[in-house]
Order: sequence, then C-alpha cells, then structure tokens
Amino acid sequence: MNRRELLKFGMGLIAASVALPSALNAENFRKTKPMVWKAKTPADAMKDLFGASTYTESGVKLKAPDIAENGAVIPITIKKVPAGTKTIAVFQDANPESATAVFTVHPRSIVSDYAIRIKMKKTGKVTVVANVDGKLYGASKTVKVTIGGCGG
Amino acid sequence: MRIKAKTKKGITTVKAMAKHPMMSYDEAKKKHKTANFITYITAEHNGEIVYELNSTQFLSKNPYIKFKFKGGAKKEKIIITWVDLSGKKKVSKGKIK
Repeated sequence: MNRRELLKFGMGLIAASVALPSALNAENFRKTKPMVWKAKTPADAMKDLFGASTYTESGVKLKAPDIAENGAVIPITIKKVPAGTKTIAVFQDANPESATAVFTVHPRSIVSDYAIRIKMKKTGKVTVVANVDGKLYGASKTVKVTIGGCGG
Repeated sequence: MRIKAKTKKGITTVKAMAKHPMMSYDEAKKKHKTANFITYITAEHNGEIVYELNSTQFLSKNPYIKFKFKGGAKKEKIIITWVDLSGKKKVSKGKIK
C-alpha cells in the first residue's frame, strides 16, 4: 500500500500590510511578481508581468509631453484603455529598470485621465500596456528629456 | 496626503499628492542614504477599492495621482492609503465636493 503524504502548503496571499476591504482582485504585484520590478527593458518587464512582450497598437491613448524640460517630473496621462482592461502597466526605457507603474482596474474604476508624474534619466520611450484577459493593447510615446540648462 | 475630490454626473474625479522623497536606488547611492519610495497606493470609497496602483522609484518626488471612479456623492469620504518600501503606511481621508 502506497501511502502518500501530501503536504499542502497554504499559499496564502498575504495582503501586504494594508488591510483591504472588498479586495476582489487587489494584487500587490511587488509580492506576487517580484521580477517585473527588476527587468531592465520594457519587453522583459512586460513578459514578466503579462506573459508576452508584444501588444496590439490600438485601444490605448497615452498623453505625454514631446519635450520634458525637467526629467524629474514628467506628466503621463492614460486617456483611454479598451473595455474589460484589468491591468495597465507603464514602462519606460530610459531608467535602469523599466517597470514604472502598474494599475489594477476595479469595477468602479474609470480609466480616462489616469495621471501620474514620472522620472526619466534621459530621452526615452514611455509605453502603456493594457491587459484585457490575456490580450495586450498598448501605445507608446517618445519623450525628449533636456536635463538642466537651455535645451541641447 | 492632500486630496481633492469632485463629483459630477455620477463620476468622481480625484487629484491627490503624497509627501514622499521617492528616493530611487541611484539617488540613494549618491547621497549615501537608504532608498525609499511609495510602492502601493489604494483609494477606497464606501468600503470598495476604486483605485489601485503598484508604484516604483520612478514616480516623481511627492507623487501626484489623478483618477476617476463611478459614484460618489458630496460630503462622502474617500480614503487613500499608501505603503512604502520601508513598510510605512499612511492613511489619508478626503471629502468629496
């Protein structure tokens, strides 16, 4: 007789140190997907987070300045994402690591004019990717960063 | 955290700014300090999460966020919580106008 001992480790998702109320799909990606934050390129970070490194260029509208005088404060606005988007990620390729922000969309969230301000070390491309049940949609914009002094 | 929330036609728009150095690993190295930045922000209204952000060292100092959600009425409260790399947690309340 074969007695197999099944050790079940309850892989409880420790909801960080934040007591979340009806947190249906709240996810602290820093705990569940630690590699995303270390990835150096947008493609790698995208792969770590969403499982794919390419997206369809449609459905996402991103607003970012053509030229940022101050690389420390660059306003980024996500104007639109496809219906059914569950997660939105912002990447850039100008800093040592690529992942910049990841939003989780909740039932009452309205993703139009989602704004943040980011830092970029130099001129680079900002990419926003929306995950709609495994299908990725996105948009990107190159932001020229003129650091200090009168441009150029 | 400074919170400004306004509701119009069933949609509430929130603008908020946290006070935080958002010191990246590179900046910390240069200044011989420990890196620390907000890593998680959530906003709650009527017991439901209406906004959730996993943030990084690449958000600007004193991070500013703007977002919208369905519902919300004047005088109701919105609670925004942030957690940073050091484990510190800050809960702020704002009133919807």
